[in-house]
Amino acid sequence: MRSFDPDDSNVVRPFPFFRAGVRADPSAANRPILVLEDVYKYFRADKPTLRGLNLTVERGEFLFVTGPSGAGKSTLLQLIYRKHTVEEGRILFCGRDIARLTSKSIPYLRRNLGVVFQDFKVVQHWTVFENVAIALEILDMPQRLVRSRVVETLERVGLGGRGGDRTSNLSGGEQQRVAVARAIVTEPALILADEPTGNLDPHLAIDILTLFEEVNETGTTVIFATHDHSLISKRDHRIISIEDGRVSEARRGLRSWSARDIISAADTKRGSGVHKHPVAV
Amino acid sequence: MDMKQLITRARRGLREEMRLYLVAVSSLAVAFLCLGGALLALTNLSAVARAWGQSSRMTVYLRDGAEAEDVAQLRALVEGLAEVRAVEHLSSEDARAQFLEHSDVEAGLAALPAEVFPASLEITLAQDTGAPRAARIAERIAQFRSVSDVETYRGWFSRLESLLQAGRAIAGALALLVALCVLAVIGNTIRLAVARRREEIEVMKLCGATDEFVRGPFVLEGSFQGFMSALLAVLLLMGGFLLVRDELDATVAALTGVRAAFLHPAALVGLTLGGAAVGAIGSALSLRRYMAV
Ligand SMILES: Nc1ncnc2c1ncn2[C@@H]1O[C@H](COP(=O)(O)OP(=O)(O)OP(=O)(O)O)[C@@H](O)[C@H]1O
Ligand SMILES: [Mg+2]
Repeated sequence: MRSFDPDDSNVVRPFPFFRAGVRADPSAANRPILVLEDVYKYFRADKPTLRGLNLTVERGEFLFVTGPSGAGKSTLLQLIYRKHTVEEGRILFCGRDIARLTSKSIPYLRRNLGVVFQDFKVVQHWTVFENVAIALEILDMPQRLVRSRVVETLERVGLGGRGGDRTSNLSGGEQQRVAVARAIVTEPALILADEPTGNLDPHLAIDILTLFEEVNETGTTVIFATHDHSLISKRDHRIISIEDGRVSEARRGLRSWSARDIISAADTKRGSGVHKHPVAV
Repeated sequence: MDMKQLITRARRGLREEMRLYLVAVSSLAVAFLCLGGALLALTNLSAVARAWGQSSRMTVYLRDGAEAEDVAQLRALVEGLAEVRAVEHLSSEDARAQFLEHSDVEAGLAALPAEVFPASLEITLAQDTGAPRAARIAERIAQFRSVSDVETYRGWFSRLESLLQAGRAIAGALALLVALCVLAVIGNTIRLAVARRREEIEVMKLCGATDEFVRGPFVLEGSFQGFMSALLAVLLLMGGFLLVRDELDATVAALTGVRAAFLHPAALVGLTLGGAAVGAIGSALSLRRYMAV
């Protein structure tokens, strides 16, 4: 994958260090990409949805978020892309407390995130190309660059040559690929997926999951909320479960956790070695 | 924000909401047509007023049976005044002939005897004669024995002036009303368009679009509707004007001495750009109220 040129002056991103593989200072690469500290969220005063939730997500991790319906999985993701604001606690994204961002800054936070939903949220009457291109147009990228980037990304998600199709003519699985393409075309540091396979057949669900894993392979952190246990059981990523408004660690991901141990071991030996990708064992 | 992209997105919006926008544009064109019509009437009325204000004419009606000698004496005196450029004596017979020539009336009127039309002296004053001076001359002439009445046409002129003033006030009120109409109609249309495009607005916000980025095309679309409404009205008005101009020139122009004129180019530019500006404002106000993004 061609990476985002950090010196591309045509692209306006107030927080350049939010991007995958680009860091403000060398030590940031070793720090977790996302830290939630004692997060409280109430929709109703008598019944808090999240109460004292703590969570740390490392750079390059693939994380399953699960839990019963109504546990607050969607709420957790919504707090990260600032659809909602925390009542108490901190959410550090690349070391910045996003719970304190002003509403003017929220768009710039979102430019560093890719979000994918169960119901796709693609514009039905737009073409596939338009649905993906909008994410880059928002970044003020020149049309020539937008074109090549979108074409490239559509290839990546298996929709090569479908750019001119009206999105409503695509199948559910294909529409979700459009949504994934839109989420990754800007090469964000973090992808949030809220039950992206919820509306898809089991074999399509595996395809989409694999697509997210391929994105993860390139260094992008993925948080994948689902309550589909058949999907979770097929993989060995880290799993957290939300219960009673808190995180209970259900399983330490074999790959990412051991990878992190290797990195920190290497760091203590070599000083400030920086690893973008988790190393598989 | 990239202007080209903004226009591309606005054009996509215009294409998608074509029917909705056509309804708005056609109803607003009617409003603009009323305003344009009022302005057109005003333009021509003030042209007439200007022409009349400049032509300093005076008619001295002579008593029936006035002595020819007295009339000759009066005429000599009038011709001696510095302000007077020309004097023409119109006998009853002349007046009758002139009247019959200017109005295609039936034989019944043509049968009227010459005595019905008073003889007169038609006086032309210098262009720069002020109203007070003209009034003083009229006063002096009226004191002559052979004179029955002096018409300075000042009364007509001042009546036309007050008519014009009322016309200007009405046009002003109409302009305000049309502006409010544009605000309301375009505001409502944009509200509907926002509701219909909820989905894409949500997508753009999710991808990190600023409010300005999302609103830009809507403002441009509202502005375009205002512009098109005004332009359509101007074109309709011009078409109508060209159709009836020859007719007008043959009748009204002969009476008033002023040819019918269309709106001044500045007024045309003002109407269309005003339409565009008010359309943009209506759209922006509507977005502030209805787009809680
Ligand atoms: N905007 C909202 N207003 C009021 N209550 C809300 C809102 N969003 C979520 N909630 C409440 O917060 C709780 C958690 O909802 P959330 O959607 O996060 O659950 P979830 O874990 O995603 O469930 P599911 O698996 O069914 O998607 C629920 O009780 C829900 O009713
Ligand atoms: Mg949910």
